[in-house]
Amino acid sequence: MNASPLKIAPEIEQHPRAGQSISGAEVIVQVFADEGVKVLFGYSGGAILPVYDAVFRYNAANLHDNGDEPMPLIVPANEQGAGFMAAGYARASGKVGVAVVTSGPGATNMVTPVRDSMADSIPLVVICGQVGTAAIGSDAFQEAPISNIMGACAKHVFLVTDATQLEATVRTAFTLARSGRPGPVVVDVPKDVQNTALNFHGTGELALTGYRARLSAVEQSALSDADCATFFAALMQAQRPLIYAGGGVIAAGAATALRAFVDTFGLPVTTTLMGLGAFDTTDPLALHMLGMHGTAYANYAVEDCDFVLALGARFDDRVAGVPAKFAPRAKSIAQIDIDPAEIGKVKPTHWHHVGPLARALERLTAYGRAHGMRLQLTAWHAHVAELKRVHAMNYDRASALIQPYAVLEAINRHTQGRAIVSTGVGQHQMWAAQYFDFRAPRHWLTSGSMGTMGFGLPAAIGAQFAHPDKLVIDIDGDASIRMNIGELETVTTYNLPVKVVVLNNVGDGMVRQWQKLYFKGRFAASDKSLHKKDFVLAAQADGFAWAQRLECTEELEATIAAFLAFDGPAFLEVMIDPDAGVYPMVGPGASYAQMITGDFIPSREASVVRETSPSHMF
Amino acid sequence: MNHTLSILLQNEAGALVRVAGLFAARGYNIDTLTVTATHDPAVSRLTLSLQCDDAGVAQILQQTRKLVDVLQVAHPATALAA
Repeated sequence: MNASPLKIAPEIEQHPRAGQSISGAEVIVQVFADEGVKVLFGYSGGAILPVYDAVFRYNAANLHDNGDEPMPLIVPANEQGAGFMAAGYARASGKVGVAVVTSGPGATNMVTPVRDSMADSIPLVVICGQVGTAAIGSDAFQEAPISNIMGACAKHVFLVTDATQLEATVRTAFTLARSGRPGPVVVDVPKDVQNTALNFHGTGELALTGYRARLSAVEQSALSDADCATFFAALMQAQRPLIYAGGGVIAAGAATALRAFVDTFGLPVTTTLMGLGAFDTTDPLALHMLGMHGTAYANYAVEDCDFVLALGARFDDRVAGVPAKFAPRAKSIAQIDIDPAEIGKVKPTHWHHVGPLARALERLTAYGRAHGMRLQLTAWHAHVAELKRVHAMNYDRASALIQPYAVLEAINRHTQGRAIVSTGVGQHQMWAAQYFDFRAPRHWLTSGSMGTMGFGLPAAIGAQFAHPDKLVIDIDGDASIRMNIGELETVTTYNLPVKVVVLNNVGDGMVRQWQKLYFKGRFAASDKSLHKKDFVLAAQADGFAWAQRLECTEELEATIAAFLAFDGPAFLEVMIDPDAGVYPMVGPGASYAQMITGDFIPSREASVVRETSPSHMF
Repeated sequence: MNHTLSILLQNEAGALVRVAGLFAARGYNIDTLTVTATHDPAVSRLTLSLQCDDAGVAQILQQTRKLVDVLQVAHPATALAA
């Protein structure tokens, strides 16, 4: 018998509202508060009115001493804006972003942010109003089959038909959103359920026995000594090992563990678009981004390496366009991910581990240190440094036209990799990824997998709510910003000091670049030179006190300094060289060795533009 | 090659649609599908068959396991072979 001292069971802290009868709408808001939700994003409508009223009353009853609301509800111009604000908040903070919208069109406008968040593994909880349970399936006003529609896009969807399950369902939605591989969870709540009087418990979640069993198996899985020994046996054979780090490093909070691993063993690091910030890009061992528009030196390093350690990365088609030709000299590929479905999905691995990334990296670091694992990488480090020197990013520095890269370099001189940067999708997104430094995780907010134009502005708004005192910059394009330009007004309504940069090349630049390469320059629907919009007037109309257009290179430095120094919302349109391209570029169906580096970055081999390349990959 | 999968599913709104939708979205054509009740009224058993190669079936098994409503996925042929 174990003679341990008598343990006094800790008194279970009861929820102060446990046992109270409150409405379904109040249950939702109370669970939000209990989950630590500090801000909501959403647009009202008939089927969500009870929840909006409950938010109003909760805020009125719980004002902070300074008069601020504890859970302000931020209203966008369109529900898609609310979704991307919640996603920007989640990406910048690491917390669950929350959006609340009405039924029918409110919910369908939320489909794009939900799918976008699924594709980039971003934790969201989205509450959708739904028509009353009796009206479901009757083609009622503002009815849409949200559980069907969102079921195909989200990590999970609940349709709450039994009001007594509402409290446990909303609480479970937060657990699902943030656990395992994070993602968006949608809760569809019929209006009568919002109005039902319920007994509040203050605790309890849905069982979800299958999900929880699989989650706990993954979370508890640990690397054995034998696993570590196999890993190091392969690594110690390598002369040119490389880490390929994805967004999973950031989602897992594993950047510190990655830093320690690199400090111990000296592997150079290249990151995916989603992984930017997982490893300080200014570090000598950082190769910045790899892939279709990765740096030439990162891509050449992938060509040259003989060992790949993939961390929270999934060999997607923008990185491994031709999986068989990716890292062709790698004798061994090791992969760590939280999602078992990603192991070997695209590229077969020689060693893998499914489990929490930070713990796995800490374990490998500790094992390697304990067993005196030392790699002789001097030659490889010299090779990497030479690749970075010879194939550095570069552009036409003598041009009379404003080069977009110069704009980003000028901004970067001020921000030094410490600003939060969001983007739309297209050329400007790739330029920002290439030319900005990223010193830490959660400073780079971009729609990576879905590639949703219009992401940048609402994401910046959400990020500013997560970090009211940080500099948040939306680097946007003239076409991308049009997609959610209504949110300019949201910036000024809430007086957010967001800085909006529009790199205007009068059209869909990335589409034009592909049309130049693969469609003989026929600019079908990508030229916007007949468009009449004056972006500066538009920003002024939405209340931007600082809104300017930059048209000549001589004013670039001074304008950017004034723009960034402005205390409040500021809008800068830059008329850039419309022919500026994104280089390097690994064309569809091409290997990294066939990368086009453009006129200003030296190429290692003569690259071939293949006129007949398949364009279905776009 | 013909594969038969057996899936235990929680009886939630839209659960069957999510399984069928996952297979459709990932380009797998379901040849046959049977849904039966189990001794537990909260759980159904899906038995479905499809044509695909071994790598394909391994991937769709993993993807099916990501569905929150799914309790268990079995591929009896591989279980027997193992």
